[in-house]
Amino acid sequence: MTAFLDARALPSDTVLEPDIAIIGGGPAGISLALALANTKLNVLLLESGGQNFDPANQKMYGGSQSGLSYIALDAGRLRFLGGGTNHWGGWCRPMDEVDFEAKPWLPHSGWPFPRKALEPYYPRAQALVEAGPWIYDQKGDAENAPEGSVLPLSKGGLYTSWFQFSKMRGDVLPTQFGKRYEADLKRAPNIKPLLHANITAIRLSPDAKRVEKLEGATLGSNGGAGKRFTVKPRFVVLAAGGMENARLLLVSNDVMKTGVGNQNDLVGRFFADNPVPRDVATVVSFAGPLAPFYGSNQTLDDGAIMRATFAPTAAFCRSARVLGSLSTIEQPVELDETGKAAVITTAIALGVDASNAKARSLGCGMELAPDPDRRLVLTGEKDALDLPRLKLNMRISDEDFARYRRTLVELGRQLLASRTGMLRIDKKTRDDWMKTMDWGHHHLGTTRMHIDPKQGVVDADGLVHGLGNLYIAGSSTFPSYSASNPTLNLIALTLRLADHLKKVMA
Amino acid sequence: MKRRTLIAGVAAAGAAVAAGLYRFTDLFVKHYPPTPYDDVLSVLVDREEAARFGALVRAAPAPGALAAKLRAALKPHGLAGAVGADIAAGRLTEVDGWVVPQSVALLSALAAKV
Repeated sequence: MTAFLDARALPSDTVLEPDIAIIGGGPAGISLALALANTKLNVLLLESGGQNFDPANQKMYGGSQSGLSYIALDAGRLRFLGGGTNHWGGWCRPMDEVDFEAKPWLPHSGWPFPRKALEPYYPRAQALVEAGPWIYDQKGDAENAPEGSVLPLSKGGLYTSWFQFSKMRGDVLPTQFGKRYEADLKRAPNIKPLLHANITAIRLSPDAKRVEKLEGATLGSNGGAGKRFTVKPRFVVLAAGGMENARLLLVSNDVMKTGVGNQNDLVGRFFADNPVPRDVATVVSFAGPLAPFYGSNQTLDDGAIMRATFAPTAAFCRSARVLGSLSTIEQPVELDETGKAAVITTAIALGVDASNAKARSLGCGMELAPDPDRRLVLTGEKDALDLPRLKLNMRISDEDFARYRRTLVELGRQLLASRTGMLRIDKKTRDDWMKTMDWGHHHLGTTRMHIDPKQGVVDADGLVHGLGNLYIAGSSTFPSYSASNPTLNLIALTLRLADHLKKVMA
Repeated sequence: MKRRTLIAGVAAAGAAVAAGLYRFTDLFVKHYPPTPYDDVLSVLVDREEAARFGALVRAAPAPGALAAKLRAALKPHGLAGAVGADIAAGRLTEVDGWVVPQSVALLSALAAKV
């Protein structure tokens, strides 16, 4: 077992020549390195940070914003080994088949392949996030529910679906990749993790067909650049996250003047996150309290941690033209006099007893429609290593809210049809939605995947269009987004990339 | 007085008192002033709660029009049938955000207007 290398301890102007350089030691970078462990490939895993949070390093993520108020650019990500898994919530759910479909009514939607292309990689991704046995929607019926009964919903647009949760060993929850896989990375003889190693530029050959080298620097104790180093790899995988992937491509503009892979002005566009509006609705259960797995995580005997959610069916997504959403039961709610009157009147009309009715708030993770003007661009402001900082123009359209509203109305209809409950939509205006808006901190779409170079930065294998040896891993390649949390899915996609690289580099 | 006669008399008096309480007090069932729409409103067990909710129905038609709509909806299978048909057909109305069958919204609005 070898120790991690520290770029600050390298001799000045060191030149490293691995077979493959992975830029970024987050879930994608670490998963890729592990998938390439014990192969003949010499893998260099470049991580900007160390093994712990460092404010000076984190500061390099800072940026500015316009448009809709969004979380600070240095708040939703972490710049040290393990990346986003150092602060993720562990929510896992595979994307649905419908998430991959091109929707005729939705411009820019669809993946270049169906979900079945990722299915071989989900079991290994599930193991890496340590979410226990693959259960998910196999628990969807009342008979197999973890504990208590599933709320009966009449046939319709939504069904009870399931999250599973990542769980690291001991009392650490969820899995933090930097810590969990430290020993595995050290043990693999062909993997060299290099910490404190910032890549500052991707340098292309004069014909712009290949990456020739990567320029790197450490953060010096004086607050500026410390040691400089160069990496000359055969292949490069950019796995630095949804914002930093775009930034590195855009700042590397010496040969391609608009930035690497940006010949069609797509890099940084189509940024997305999953809006997580709280208290979107009030759900009343006529029979009383719902089963515990609706309101909180429940651990099964086999170790799986699960929580129920209401998800739209593929048929409903197609017919009602809605996007993904995962609605979860949250806090108990005390109904006001009007609410009580609504429940009493409706229950009587339905012929059911609502004397034990209980109300809970409903929260949601939503999918946004792809929007080219939701965009990251470079600014004149520089970070400690003299790299231009990012500016995000954030937007949500009214139609994004309207789509989810249609989903809520259908859930309300199904509760009434099954005579089990009813629903109040607690958001009327755009301001109402924004007042309780939170975000998934999922950075998606900025180097989108498409077989047509005019519509995507990378092809279906993650290879940057027009280049022979630069790949991109992670959720920045998602061309449309799903409401499912991205970590499990981006790892499955990364493992698919690992298989591809093994073939092309053999 | 024979014992049997006494019992019958007490029972008759009790029944009369109960009938009176039922008819002239709200002890067993709520009573409302007569309206031209009682044939429709009679399907509501609790008209006050319905009226409280119905006060929030926006742009409800006049009582006469509401009653006519409701008579048509209730005629085939009563309130349960009307509500079921609304749900199946997706005829839902949002009242102060509550997603309810159209018949429930209309009935509540009528209760609020009389």
